[in-house]
Order: sequence, then C-alpha cells, then structure tokens
Amino acid sequence: MDFVLSPEQRMIYDYGAKVSQSFDHKYWLENARQNRFPEELWRQTAQDGFVGLMVDQAYGGSGLGLFEMALLIEGMSNHGLPLLMYVVGPTMAMGHINQHGTPEQKSRYLPDAAAGTTMFCFAITEPNAGSNAMRIQSVAKANGERFKLNGSKVFITGVDVCDYAVVVARTTPHDQVKRKTDGFTVFILDLKARGVDYQPINMSVVNPELQFTLYFDDVDLGPEDVLGEVDKGFNILFDLLNPERVTVAAMACGIGRFAIEKAVAYTSERVVFDGPIGAYQGVQHPLAAAKTQVELSSLMLRQAAWQFDRGEAAGAAANMAKYAGAEAGIMAVEAALQAHGGNGFTHEYGLYDLYSMARLLRTAPINRELILNYIGERVLGMPRSY
Amino acid sequence: MKVLVAVKRVVDYNVKIRVKADQTGVDLSNVKMSMNPFDEIAVEEALRMKEAGTADEVIAVSIGVQQCQETIRTALAMGADRGILVKTDAVLEPLHVAKILKAVVDEEQPGLVILGKQAIDDDCNQTGQMLAALLGWPQGTFASEIEFADGKANVTREVDGGLQTLKLNLPMIVTTDLRLNEPRYASLPNIMKAKKKPIDEKTPEALGVDMAPHLTTLNVAEPPKRQAGVIVENVAELVHKLRNEAGVI
Repeated sequence: MDFVLSPEQRMIYDYGAKVSQSFDHKYWLENARQNRFPEELWRQTAQDGFVGLMVDQAYGGSGLGLFEMALLIEGMSNHGLPLLMYVVGPTMAMGHINQHGTPEQKSRYLPDAAAGTTMFCFAITEPNAGSNAMRIQSVAKANGERFKLNGSKVFITGVDVCDYAVVVARTTPHDQVKRKTDGFTVFILDLKARGVDYQPINMSVVNPELQFTLYFDDVDLGPEDVLGEVDKGFNILFDLLNPERVTVAAMACGIGRFAIEKAVAYTSERVVFDGPIGAYQGVQHPLAAAKTQVELSSLMLRQAAWQFDRGEAAGAAANMAKYAGAEAGIMAVEAALQAHGGNGFTHEYGLYDLYSMARLLRTAPINRELILNYIGERVLGMPRSY
Repeated sequence: MKVLVAVKRVVDYNVKIRVKADQTGVDLSNVKMSMNPFDEIAVEEALRMKEAGTADEVIAVSIGVQQCQETIRTALAMGADRGILVKTDAVLEPLHVAKILKAVVDEEQPGLVILGKQAIDDDCNQTGQMLAALLGWPQGTFASEIEFADGKANVTREVDGGLQTLKLNLPMIVTTDLRLNEPRYASLPNIMKAKKKPIDEKTPEALGVDMAPHLTTLNVAEPPKRQAGVIVENVAELVHKLRNEAGVI
C-alpha cells in the first residue's frame, strides 16, 4: 500500500495553490456574493488543460481518472476556490460522455468541451423526484426513431453559462417496465434547442454558480443524442453519481482545510488575555478534531476514486466519503467561525459566507439521510424502511 | 546554446518553519516541500530563452535525496527538456553544490548556468559565485534583466542604490533576483509530457566530489519573539524612553 502521490498527481493537487496566486479566495468570494460565474478563473483552468482532465487524449484531454479530478478539486478548494461547475461539467457530464459516448458523440462534443469553449451541466433532479430518482417524470416519448422531451428539472447548476446538458428522462413509463430501474435514458441536450427554457432560482447560498429550473416543451431529440442505451440509463447512472459524491467530498474537505487554516492563522496571532487565543484548548480542540475528520474523509474519498478508476464497485466508499466529507466540512467551518469570534461574521473575514457552502453539501447533491440509508441497507445489509 | 538550471528542493515558502526540539535543525517531518522560488525564476528565464530561440536545450539539475526528483519533475513540467539528479543523503554545503555543478558543467558544456541567487532555506547566497570561481567564468548575480546580443549578454543587477548593467562573455553564470520574471506554473498537458522526459541519476562519488563537511552546525534557534510596542504621548516622552530605557541615544 502506497500513500505517496506520483509527481504528476502532486502537481495536479498543487494546481490550486498556483492558480490561487492569480485568482485568490477574495476573487472567488466577490463573485460568489454576486452569484456571478468566475469566468476568468474558469478560462484559466481550461487554458491550463484541467477542464479536459478526464477526457481521453484522442479527444483533446489528458485521459486521467476520477482520482486526479478529485485531487484537482480538493486542491483548488484547499485554497478557497470550490467550483460546483467542475463537479457537474468536467467530472459528471464530460466524464460520462468520455466513458459511455459513441465515437461520433465524443468527437462532436469532447474536443470543444476539453478546450473550455463549450460547457456542460447535468440535469437529473425534478420538482417531484428529488431524492427518489425512480419517480422522474420528464418523459422523452418515442416517435419513430426520434423522441419528444417534456417535463422539468430543478436545482440545475450553471445552466446560464452552459451550452449542453446531460439529462436523465423516462423513455418508458413507470408502470410499463419489468424492472423498476428500467425505462430511463440519458440524453445529451442542446440548451439552445427549441422548447428548452430555464429560470434562475434565488438561493441563499453564497457560491458563484446559479441554480436553475429547466423546462422542456416538446424538445426534439434523436438517436444521436442518446448516451448509452435507450431504457437502460439507470445502469450507467451510478457512473455519474459516484463521481459526484467523490468530488463533492473533495470540495467539502478543501473548504474545511481552508477554514481551519484561516482559523489557525487568526488564533495564533489574536491576543485577548496573555498569549494568543490559539493556545487555549477550548479553541484548539474543535479545530484539531475537525482537522482529523477532514483528513479521514480525504483518505476515504481517495479510496472511492481509486476504486472507481479501477472499475470496482465504488458505491460504499463514495457514499461514506460524501457523508464524512460534508460533515467534516461543516465541522471545520463551524470551528473556524467560533474561533474567529465576531470577526467570523464580517464581510472582511468571509467565514460565514463559507458556512452556507459547506452546509449545502450536507443536503446536496444527495442528503445525509439517504446516504445513511444506503450505508445501512447496502453496506450493513439492514432491512429497507421505504 | 544549452542552458543548465539548478533547482533546489526546499520547505515550501508558505510553511511556518519550526525548529526541532533539540535545536539541531529545522523540523522537516510532514512538511510540504517545493522548488526554491528563486530557482523557479531561473527555470522560467531559461524557458523564455528557449522560446526566443536563444537556447535550444534546458537541463534541470537537482542535488540531494531521492525526492529531489519531484523538484526536477516540476521543472520538466514547466518545460525543461531533461533532468539530472545527483543523489546524496549527505549534508549539502554551498561548496559541495558548486563542485558538483562544476562536474556536471564539465560533462554537459552548457553556454549558461542559471541559479537562484539564494535558497530560502539556508539563505547562503554563495553557490552561484563559488561555481563561477571554480569554472573561471564571468558571473552576473542578482539579475533583474538578461539580454543577449552579438554573442554576449547584458545582465542588469539589482545592487544597493540602483541597477548595474554588465556586459558578460559567454559561457557565464547568472543568479536570479525576484524581479527577473514571473515564473509560469505547469499546465496539465505539460505535467503529462514531463512524465516521459528523462532524468539521469548520478552520485557525487561518480563525479569525483568529496562530500566531507566543512562546517559544523552548533545550534539552530528560533528568532526571539518580538516584544509588543508602546505608544508614546509626545516627542519628549519618546526621547526620554530612547535615552533612558532603550539606551540608544
């Protein structure tokens, strides 16, 4: 067993430190407070080749795996640059097209996406099918060879800056399938297509990407837009959702480390009585405990990513990493906030802003309770309650 | 022209340095190590020379433990063509490094050697000068600008009170100051390309360099903590304190 990163992996992990010299957390925070997508940072990461990290070299990427993507996202988040767009685009949508797309789809979409000239988002959640993806109501009704897509999606990240969405829809109704996981199809959707509309959702979370409701009204889709097999989308869906869990965990760990580092610097300098307040165990221990949880989660997410890249079942590790990472991130920001006293709530220190982002990750993209259900039922083998 | 760049593996500049409890040195366990920032500037300058057509090959050399290979990989990912690792576990002093670099220069015959003016760990600021002396080459230290014309180089140096420009014959030694350039970082495609670039391994023994120490470290201690200041009411009080408490006037 080897815990040492290769020189390439180490440089990918360090990229966040490098790029944050040009685009620092203050830049991120200013954009986040205005819900403005940090285009300049995105373009820089694309120019530096990181958007295409998981895309095969034949299609203009670097052909690396989820492990390296998680390192990149963790490294950027360590320096105060968490981007949800990196989860939904370069990891989920582009990773998925790279893994399951036809050669035609790959050469049509991936080179531009890897260069950062086109962007992808991912759409599965629906108003009436939040945590229960089986109840997805968006229907792509077959009409000869083609499909007509109707329905809506909610909490879709970054639609305004994207060109395409990877969309999960029903192609066979719920009551006409043999197995309840049948009947789902994954499509690549052009967001400029006729019948596609979207509206921003006002969110209280301080992060740079906007969330949207997407509406489909008789959107025309063809066989060339089907990613994988018609009706068999669910089988490949976990190739999408496990990477999401892993990279979200990476983001949470990075946010946690960033907050802890801020608190360590602050409490080592801040003198209220005799010495720096960082010397008080009441201040130290919550930060030390949070640091431990962050590092534990980081190990777990790396294991999950490693399993995923080897084609092994990564569900158990990915879910445990998402649960642990989100909780550790909250614990870390909470400890850092408390250590900063009143200053933690000021615009200048910006810690309370980070809290909303860390807290979001307990609920999204899959909430804590469903993760625990998964661990209870699928890992521990306990009876199902629902 | 071949350009040789020396790159040192040091404690990352963001790390808060801690002295070992027994005061024999700096605690390096679980500490992030990176390329010496002045050496990053040296690599960048060599790469710009290559891009401008002045240089045709950039070689990164590092001396020290096996992990110095990572520092070389960083230089290769920035764009250097190949690396040389001179592997040793011995304590390195500037004179050892200069002698090893001289041996490498004898083998490689570069037209220019670029080094950082100093490393941020021991701050010796000696290696470039010693190397120039050992080779009998001209040196442009603390460079903030390098220009090549007619087979010579104009090196602008940051000296006390201003800038000094020297015209130097090649081959020569340059040590970099902070303002020479802003080093690039590696893009992902270049990180991947670096994987395939060769790194030669050598030893000080094979290069005929004796690593016996010339210096003994007696004690390493943290600088004394700065005392809190006081605010004085007026000039008279300031003068009084300077004279009677500080004893400086």
